[in-house]
Amino acid sequence: MAERYDLIVIGAGPAGLAAAIYSARARVRTLVLDEGVPGGQVKTTHKVSNYPGFPEDVKGAELARRFAEQAERFGATIARSVEITRHDLRSDVKELELDEERVVQAPAVIVATGAKPRELGLEGERGFRGRGISYCATCDGAYFEGKSIHVIGGGNSAVEESLFLTQFAAQVTIVHQFDQFQCEAGTADEALANPKIKVLWSHEPRAFLGGDALERLAVEDLKTRTRQELASDGVFIFVGMVPQTELLRGLVPLSPQGYVETDESMATPVPGLYVAGDIRVKRFRQITTAVADGTIASLAVQAYLRGRKA
Amino acid sequence: MSGNVREIQQSEYEQAIPAKGAAVLDFFSTECPPCEALAPKFEALAEQFAGQIQFLKIFRQGSRELAQRLGVSGSPTLIFYRDGAEVGPRLTGEIKRSELKQRLSELVGG
Repeated sequence: MAERYDLIVIGAGPAGLAAAIYSARARVRTLVLDEGVPGGQVKTTHKVSNYPGFPEDVKGAELARRFAEQAERFGATIARSVEITRHDLRSDVKELELDEERVVQAPAVIVATGAKPRELGLEGERGFRGRGISYCATCDGAYFEGKSIHVIGGGNSAVEESLFLTQFAAQVTIVHQFDQFQCEAGTADEALANPKIKVLWSHEPRAFLGGDALERLAVEDLKTRTRQELASDGVFIFVGMVPQTELLRGLVPLSPQGYVETDESMATPVPGLYVAGDIRVKRFRQITTAVADGTIASLAVQAYLRGRKA
Repeated sequence: MSGNVREIQQSEYEQAIPAKGAAVLDFFSTECPPCEALAPKFEALAEQFAGQIQFLKIFRQGSRELAQRLGVSGSPTLIFYRDGAEVGPRLTGEIKRSELKQRLSELVGG
């Protein structure tokens, strides 16, 4: 027997949970699904300094927990660690099968699956994952106590997570393709003043080398085109994100980069199907912009549901 | 917590991996959202594969030397064993239930 809801939100990051808070408060029976635990990318961000209402820094995991608690307080149900094994998002009543055993239905769905860390696609990257290569500093930083590690990237995530990793590592070398950081000025200044952080400007990684575990990182100097191998105990990769739109393939228009086109109310051309957050085509992707998308999507869904009843 | 997953200490590692049959070991950490996400899937599959595969888990923070010896540097990391020897690639990071189920089926099937 299928379980019926008014709204199913796929993805429990800031966009999905903001949508759930607004919907549940409006007495819309809301189910939120997530492959893991709530929080999206926020839950693995060591601290958040620019989310309004938190004059002191807040740990990403703590902010994520609060988002989820608030949604549950108003009656939203959050299903954690579930996998969608079958889906029909096109029909008037949308239907999802979870873990091959549970079927849920709703007339409206908000897809807020966000983005996942981009892989570099280099030799050795997959093989050394978990054996020296990581995409999550909060998860794996402690494995590198006293070690000499590298961080690939130069945006906000790369530089902020480098600062976090200095709590554990003896030395953090940032490998960045440009000759200045692409992060907020305050964060850049903090990193440049940190004695544990070194930067290899205008360098790109080329390969990950070693035996059972990662031992060396091959980099290329983009100015001189010379290549060298650096001894490394670990490499953390923060080179942007890729949208998770597998559920929507063939259903809604995607940009060449794979993001979803929506109108201003987060609607897609499929009636009752909305998207919110980082998977949308947009210029800026922040926690605040994700939360805004989730809010708008919820209000648009509420109007859609009222229209169906009328 | 399910009775089908046994938590071990690093001192018990050698005895805990069965000399005959299949086992899977989960290295987990605190402050690790993908570890938290894996836990219910691991327990559900432990129930499903009860009697066929031994499900073990070990807390990384208390098992530094073992992690180093096995070359584990990320959480969660799943290591698969048949007849006492590690088999096949490890799974690490965000692990899907279907992906894990597939690996476990191969472990008992082959």
